[in-house]
Amino acid sequence: MTLSLNEIEALSRKAARGAGLSWGLAEEAGKAARWLVAQGLPGPQVLADLLTRNDGADYETLCPHDEDEGRWTARGGTLCPLISGAALCDHASRLAAGEALHLGRTASPMLLLPYLDAAARMAGRSVTVSWEGVSLTCGGTDDIPAGMTDALSTGMVDAVSILPGETCDAETPSPTGRADIPETTARQLDHFAQRTYAPETEASRLAGAGAGLTDND
Amino acid sequence: MHTPDTQPIAPRHPDVVMRLDRLGSFHQSRLSFMRILLRRLQSEGWRVERTLFEIDARGVGRAVYTAHGPDRSYSLVAFANDLPPEKRSDRVIATEWDATFTLFDGVPDAADLARLQANVPRQEAGRVSEKELSLSRANRSVRLWDHVVESLAAGHQPDPDRVAEVGYLMRTTAVYGSGKFGAADREQIADRPECQAPFQIEMLSVYLTRAFVMDLVEHMARMRAPDTAVPLDPDLRRRFGIGNSTGLGMAPFLVTHPALLNNWIATREEALARIRSLPRASTDEARTLRRFATRAHLHAQDWHSEHPVQIAKLDALRADMAALLAHLSTADLQADQPWNRLWLWAEQALSLEGQELLASLLLEPYPQLVDPLACCMAADETATWRIDGAMRSDRLRALVQDIYGWALAIDWTSPDAQARVWYTSEAKLEPRLGERFDEPIEPYEQPLCPGRDAARLWADLAHTAHDNVAGFLMRHPQHRHIVRRAQIAARLPYAEIRDNTIDAAMMPIDMLRLKLSFFGACHFDPRSDRWLRINMYQHAPFPHELGARSGDDWAYPFLATAAE
Repeated sequence: MTLSLNEIEALSRKAARGAGLSWGLAEEAGKAARWLVAQGLPGPQVLADLLTRNDGADYETLCPHDEDEGRWTARGGTLCPLISGAALCDHASRLAAGEALHLGRTASPMLLLPYLDAAARMAGRSVTVSWEGVSLTCGGTDDIPAGMTDALSTGMVDAVSILPGETCDAETPSPTGRADIPETTARQLDHFAQRTYAPETEASRLAGAGAGLTDND
Repeated sequence: MHTPDTQPIAPRHPDVVMRLDRLGSFHQSRLSFMRILLRRLQSEGWRVERTLFEIDARGVGRAVYTAHGPDRSYSLVAFANDLPPEKRSDRVIATEWDATFTLFDGVPDAADLARLQANVPRQEAGRVSEKELSLSRANRSVRLWDHVVESLAAGHQPDPDRVAEVGYLMRTTAVYGSGKFGAADREQIADRPECQAPFQIEMLSVYLTRAFVMDLVEHMARMRAPDTAVPLDPDLRRRFGIGNSTGLGMAPFLVTHPALLNNWIATREEALARIRSLPRASTDEARTLRRFATRAHLHAQDWHSEHPVQIAKLDALRADMAALLAHLSTADLQADQPWNRLWLWAEQALSLEGQELLASLLLEPYPQLVDPLACCMAADETATWRIDGAMRSDRLRALVQDIYGWALAIDWTSPDAQARVWYTSEAKLEPRLGERFDEPIEPYEQPLCPGRDAARLWADLAHTAHDNVAGFLMRHPQHRHIVRRAQIAARLPYAEIRDNTIDAAMMPIDMLRLKLSFFGACHFDPRSDRWLRINMYQHAPFPHELGARSGDDWAYPFLATAAE
C-alpha cells in the first residue's frame, strides 16, 4: 500500500504538531517530509525518529543561538533540524550575500535538505551542505545520488557546514511520487498525530458538527 | 455640465469583500467551476458512455460511466447499496451510504473493478490508489425517491411541485479529491488542460453521478413494474440536480489555501471591475442582463429553506429582485458607464444577497470578457508560501495593521470574541466547532483564527528588539504561521477572510457558501449554523444532450417562451 504525497504531508504536519512544534514549524515539517519522499529518501522514517527523540523537549533547548557569528548551536546540546531548517530559510539573504553558516551538533541532518533547497532558491544561488561522509549541492536540478541514503540517514552529526555556491535557477519544481512507508513509521507518526485530535464525547458528537435534524428525509 | 465618467473602476477593496456576511451571500456565476467544466465538455465534444450497469431489484450493484475527452478518458465507478433507513446519515461519521463512487483515471479493467468494489463502499475505511482521482458517496432523498419510483412504475410522471420542492434524488455527502485516502495527488494531473481550473475532477465526478442517479431511479421503476414503467420526461428530468450536504470540513480548506482563495475572489472582482468600467453597453447586452435578472428572480422564488437566517435572507433577496426588475425596466443600461451606475444604485438599494447576485448577473452578457479569466483561478500555494525572513520588523508591523486592522480593533479579552474553537475529533477525524469556555477542547485548537493570532503577533511585535522577521521568529516560533499568512496576504489581497472566525456569533455556513458558490452550487439551505444542503447542476443538460443544448446556459431556470 502506498501513500499519496498529500497524505505524507498531512500525517507529518500533524505528528510534528503533536510532538510539540508550533503550527508554523509543523507546517514546514510536513512539507519537508513530502519533499524528501519525492526525492526517494526516507523522510517520514527520519522524522519519526527525530520526534521520538525530542518528544517533550523545550523549544529553547533545541533552537539555534547565533552567539558566535555564523555558528549556530543549541543550548540543550543538539539542534533540531526542523527548527534550524526553518531558520536557515529565514536567513536565506545571508546565504545570498555569500555568507557561510555552520551548525554545531545536529540531529537527523537529512531533514535540513528540503529547507536548504528552498533557501537556495530564495537566495538565487546553490548551497553546498556537508557533514561527515556527506557533501551535497542543494537548489540545483541534480537528483540526490543513489547509494547515499545510509549516510544521509544518520541520527546525529557533530557539525554541518553550509556554503553558498554558484547562482542557480530559482524555479521550484513541483515533485510528484508516492511513498511506501514502513508500518512502524506510520504507527509512530500516527501516535503523535493522535495528540492533535480531541477525544470523542457525547456533547462533542451532538453539537460539534451541528447535528439535530434528520438526514432520513 | 455633466461629463461622462469613463475612468476605469478599481476592484473592490478586500476590507469590503472579505467579510463573512458578504462572502456568505455569494452566488454562482460564469466563473463557477461547474460551468467552466460544462463549457469545456461542450466545446471539446466530450462523449459519455455507460459501459456497465448491473443493478438488481433491491438496487444493489455497480455501474461505470466513462467520459471521453480529446486526450484522455475518465470513468465514474458507482456502487449502489440497499441501505437500512436507520443508517442514513450525511455526517462524516456515517459508515454506510445509498451509493458510493470513485472517479477512475482512464477506463478500469476487471481487476480494477474488483479492487474498487472491496474499498470504495467503505469510503474512509478503505484505500484507493493513484489510479483514482476522487472518492465520494451519496444518500437518497427518501421523500422524493419513493415518490418518483412509484410514479414512474405506475406509468406516470412524478408531481412537478414535489420535484421542485426537493430538487434532487440523491445528495452527495463528501467528495474527496487530491491525495485523500490514497488517491492521486493533484500534482499528478495538474498539467492536463482539463484539470487546470480548480475542482474540475470533483465537478466531473458529480456531473456523472447525477446521470447515474437518474438512470438508477428509472431502472428501479422498471424493475418494480416492467409492464407499466415509463422513463422521466426529458424536460422534467433536467429539473433534477444532484444534492450535496456539506459540513464544517470546507471551512478549514479556505483558510489553509490562501492563494487559491485569493485567485477565486480576485478573478471575480476583476471581472466585475472590468464590466463596471465599460463606457457603454449594446442593446443586446442590456437585453441579456434584463433577461437573466428575470430568470434570477424566478430562481429566488424556487429557493426554499427552513432556517430562520436563510428565510430572512431569502425575503430580502426576493425584495431585492423585485426592486432590481423595477429599476431595470426604466434605467438607461447603455450610456455613461451603465453597469457602474447600476452597481452604485445597488449598493444603496439592495441587501448583500441582492448585491452579490447582481455581481454574478453582470458577468452574464460578457462571455468573451469573463470566460477567459477562468484560467486565473488555479493557484500554486508554494509560490508564496515561504517566509521572507529579511523583511524588516516595522514593515511587518505595517502589514499587520493594514491587513488585520479589523482584528486589532477587537477586544480579545471579551469571551464572545474567542467563544469558539475549531478542532478535529478523533471520531473519523470529523472537523468540529466547539465552545471554548464550556468544553475541554482548547488544547486541540486548529490554527483557523487568523484575526486572534494576528492580534497576538501584534502584541509581541510592538516591543521586539529584533529588526527583522528572521530574528523575531527565532524567538517567537508560535507566530510563524500567522507571519506567513500576513506575508501572503500582502501579495494576494483577497487571501484572508477579514472577519473573526471564532466569534460567538460567527456562522460557519457563510464560509461553506463562499466555497460552494464558486463550485456553482445554488439553493443554499442551511440545516444549522454549521452545515447546509445545496443543489448542483439543476437544469443542466445531461451528457447525451450536450451539443443539442447549451453547456453553459442552464444555471438559472428557463422562462416560458412568451416571457423571453
